[in-house]
Amino acid sequence: MSTIENTSRRRVRDYERDRHASDKRGRRKINFSLLSIGKGIDIPFVLLILVLLTIGITMMFSASYPVAYYEIGDSYYYLKRQLLFALVGLAIMFGISFLDYHYYHRFAAIILGLSYFALLLVLVLPSQEGGVHRWIGFGAFGIQASEISKFAIILFLAHWGSRYYDRMDTFKFGILPGAAVFLSTALLLLFEPHYSCIVIIGILTVIMLYVSGIKVKWLAIGAAILAVLILLLWVTGMLTYAMERMDGWGQALNEDLDREMWNSTWQTRNSLYAIGSGGLFGLGLGQSRQKYLYLPEPQNDFIFAIVCEELGLVGAVIILLIFALLVWRGVIIALRARDRFGKLLGIGLISHIGLQVILNILVITDWLPNTGISLPFFSYGGSSLLTLMFEMGVILSISRSSNIEKS
Amino acid sequence: MGANQKLRRRTVWLLIIILAVGFGAVITRLAFLQLVQGEELQRRAIEQQLSDTPVSAKRGTIYDTKGKILAQSASVWQVVMAPAYFDDGADGEEQRRFVAKRLHEILGVDENETYEETTQNTYYVSVKRKVETSEKEQIIELQNELAEKYQKSGIISLLDDYKRYYPYSDLASSVIGFTGSEDQGLSGVEFQYNEYLSGTPGRIVSAQNGVQTEMPFDYNQNIGAIDGSSLVLTIDETVQSIVEKYMKQGVIDHNVHERGVCIVMDVNNGEVLAMASVNGFDLNKPYAISDDQQKEIDAIDTEYLVKHDYIEEGVDPYKLSESKKKELIEKAKAEANSAALARNWRNKAISDTYYPGSVFKMVTLSMALQEGVVNENSRFGCSGAFQLYNDTIHCHNTAGHGSQTYQECLWNSCNPGFIQIGQLVGKEKFWDYYQAFGFSDKTGIDLPGESDDQFFIHDGVEGNMLDTDLAVASFGQNFSITPIQMITAASAVANGGRIVQPHVVKQILDSNGKVVKNTSTETKRQVISESVSKEMCGILEENATTGSGKNGYVAGYRVGGKTGTSEKLIDVNDDGADDYIASFCGFAPANNPQYAALVFFDAPLGGSYYGSEVAAPVFASIMSEVLPYLDVAAQYTDEEMSNIDTAAGSYTGQSIEDATKAAEADGFSVTVKGEGSTVISQSPATGASIPTGGTIVLYTDQSASTDKVTVPNFVGMGVSEVNGLAAANNLNVSMTGMVSSSDGTSTSQSIPEGNQVAPGTVITVTFSSSGIAD
Repeated sequence: MSTIENTSRRRVRDYERDRHASDKRGRRKINFSLLSIGKGIDIPFVLLILVLLTIGITMMFSASYPVAYYEIGDSYYYLKRQLLFALVGLAIMFGISFLDYHYYHRFAAIILGLSYFALLLVLVLPSQEGGVHRWIGFGAFGIQASEISKFAIILFLAHWGSRYYDRMDTFKFGILPGAAVFLSTALLLLFEPHYSCIVIIGILTVIMLYVSGIKVKWLAIGAAILAVLILLLWVTGMLTYAMERMDGWGQALNEDLDREMWNSTWQTRNSLYAIGSGGLFGLGLGQSRQKYLYLPEPQNDFIFAIVCEELGLVGAVIILLIFALLVWRGVIIALRARDRFGKLLGIGLISHIGLQVILNILVITDWLPNTGISLPFFSYGGSSLLTLMFEMGVILSISRSSNIEKS
Repeated sequence: MGANQKLRRRTVWLLIIILAVGFGAVITRLAFLQLVQGEELQRRAIEQQLSDTPVSAKRGTIYDTKGKILAQSASVWQVVMAPAYFDDGADGEEQRRFVAKRLHEILGVDENETYEETTQNTYYVSVKRKVETSEKEQIIELQNELAEKYQKSGIISLLDDYKRYYPYSDLASSVIGFTGSEDQGLSGVEFQYNEYLSGTPGRIVSAQNGVQTEMPFDYNQNIGAIDGSSLVLTIDETVQSIVEKYMKQGVIDHNVHERGVCIVMDVNNGEVLAMASVNGFDLNKPYAISDDQQKEIDAIDTEYLVKHDYIEEGVDPYKLSESKKKELIEKAKAEANSAALARNWRNKAISDTYYPGSVFKMVTLSMALQEGVVNENSRFGCSGAFQLYNDTIHCHNTAGHGSQTYQECLWNSCNPGFIQIGQLVGKEKFWDYYQAFGFSDKTGIDLPGESDDQFFIHDGVEGNMLDTDLAVASFGQNFSITPIQMITAASAVANGGRIVQPHVVKQILDSNGKVVKNTSTETKRQVISESVSKEMCGILEENATTGSGKNGYVAGYRVGGKTGTSEKLIDVNDDGADDYIASFCGFAPANNPQYAALVFFDAPLGGSYYGSEVAAPVFASIMSEVLPYLDVAAQYTDEEMSNIDTAAGSYTGQSIEDATKAAEADGFSVTVKGEGSTVISQSPATGASIPTGGTIVLYTDQSASTDKVTVPNFVGMGVSEVNGLAAANNLNVSMTGMVSSSDGTSTSQSIPEGNQVAPGTVITVTFSSSGIAD
């Protein structure tokens, strides 16, 4: 495979100059010293991550301190932990960025196998609050099995797509493995249950297969099958948990709800109140009222509602634009990868981020049922932040690899 | 197309979809919520973020004219509940049951209803108002229990509230009125001046978090309650008490079926010093009926049902099923209870209309004098009856009064005489004066429920009278007015002809005691001239001294007045006999009128029903206490002086000679009892009131002081007879009532015949004049 295909004329010029420079210094080696951390990685992408992380932690602190104060007695409880996670996460990100992503190529199948194991493990472990089986505990620390799954599926499909790229327009290579991986994972997630994750995995699978070059007609067929499947699940009553949540979908602002409905739509309603209260410019940083025990867990999935309340539409749109820049930059990094595996892996990972942002905000604005999708860099949570930073590390590794390759 | 180009193209498509469709949708949605729906969402957010707690305003105090408190509000509490804070599921169910049960135990509220309230999804349910301190303590206990047992706070809270207290219970009950459960005035002044008394409730608007504790930042708006204004009434508690004391006694003495009314009014400015409808009700328990009323209700039986049309036509009342009978009796009892309450609450002084009867003659005569249609030469014959077309109108004196001057017509209360005076006035003038005296309009007194008069209407024109109408109207029959209209007109007759505005509220004070409003004491109009008024005062004074109104005489005061006995159109006790209203309207002092009083007994069934017998003595009793209290100077005649009581001095410890000398110097005659030489005790005791010339018994040894005398009968005698009998028995008598009149007869004595009392004891003997049939 030739990298020349991916380079513009400017890049060719850079390439020539770099080669000229390296000729002077001799062959460049990968240097693990602190000074060389930045070498080869995509600086705009890192900056975007740092900006989002800073804003995210600030807003998480703002959103969480009343809850932390009232429920735990320490306003800084969530801040302290999230800062720690962020530091660890940054270390993981930079660490992972040095790790050649081609290792994942090799371990794609094994990691997928591990994800199945994790999904099975949570089912036999004791359930968490709400009767769901999602977390695997590591002492005081836990990780959601679905976080592993999402990465494992992106990795596996990138692996598969790059390996059998020529045959991706066939059903056997293009559709069957992707469908099999998705359906088997979705089945296990059904038992957790974790429907939002099924949705995300489904969309990610479609994205990966599409970018890998499957025939578009299969996407249509897949959509049809999905529709039938959801209908089937609906009929069999396996959506009990989701149904309960979806009952209140779109009804949060209804004035005459009975007590039960009122309570089940409580979080969404208060999210809408918060967003609406923000108006164009918001109430000001730290000035949210809805975070005062009205909006439950404002530091988690619904944090962006508090962001909207405090920073208004202007602040929210600026943050969304930074996310958009991150996605755009991520896609550029992916496209610059020197091999197809890198491209597909990068696209999968950055799509995941974009998808989480979009779905999260659709949930808090009551366009999607309330199903637990966190907002990257903003929502409180160790495992999700570390997973996220790990994925960012992988993207940086792709950028480092292509840049170093160039030099 | 190369493979990488395809990937690149598809990636670009993907990027477009994510950014344009995904982020585009998200931003659109946010813009919609924040800009289009923002206002509404913000409103609803603020609604839940702010706790808006109403703060009760303290209702103003009602004072009597001397500043005594007639009604005031004291701090109590209101229990409110925020059921939205109960947990869901089984825990919440247990909490609700617990709270409902405890509230039932503490406050006596219905457990099931309260439980229903706990299932509501609201933050404000009023559980009970006007909760007293003892219950409040238990509510605080319940709050603690909730906190300990369920870690719940904010479900039950206590707010300030006020309860109305009436220190004088039933005094002036129909004037003061009472308040309802929401502190709103329901009757009397409480209703009329509710706007002033109630004040403006305040609100505490504060930011609160999702579990209703205060927010850490400053977001508190306190709109204080503005306490209600206070009222100073023209009512004088002392006068009112005197009035009610005698009115209640009158109701008992004369077996008055439909309660009695008395109004005492300042004739010059219309201030009502007392207005009583006895028997009233306890303002602190307005929904309680009297024992007698309860007895009547308890006695409701099948016969009552038949009599009051509870049984449907064609149904044999004695063959009713038990359940049906019970149901009807319950219904009848409930209705009787409501009727009893309505009766107790009714302010008869302004709500009842009655035929004024002969009292109205003072008005008729005033008209005639003002119009100049009668003079010293006018004579009005009375043969005991008056023939008008086909009607014969009888005079109460069937023998006839013969030829009378107009003054004599009034003194005799002669109906035929007044028919002739009325004819001289004429129908049109009569109607004009009727209006001018204020009978055709409500007086506009500041009390609710004032009734309209009912005057003659022919061919749809009010005041269009027939000759017979004029004839009976001349002596106050066949048209109805309210007692307040009568006393207002009588005041005009007395005060120089001015129609004043009767009122019960003198001042309105704000919550700091500053006067915000003085009630106007305007004169509405002049209806008769000063000279006519002066002449009327003289005639009425003479009437109260020697004429038909002499039972209204008050020793020491120049009283003018007129009696009245009028037929009621309803037979109140179903005995087939006509029922009457006995009234007396008078004023004092006649030479410079200050206070007028109207006494009115509705349906006295005790045998006598004439105003002169029933109402006039009560008027006299009231005035004899009220006038000295109001600092109206007494002017005794010599004869009256002899009946004035003197306080006994201290004569003990002195020698017999010295003591006797001292007692005689004080105007007493002395009887010495015992063998000793020094006075060791005396009867009556030092300071006791003894009529001038009464007997003081001085004891000189111990054994003598145990001597007793038997009280003889003093009833049915003249003044001199009573005096002689008292002296013979070593007793003192204090005489009240018609003492000065030659035909006065004693009608009662304060200590009954046959009792053993110490010599010198003072016995009050009441005199009244009999034989006045009006």
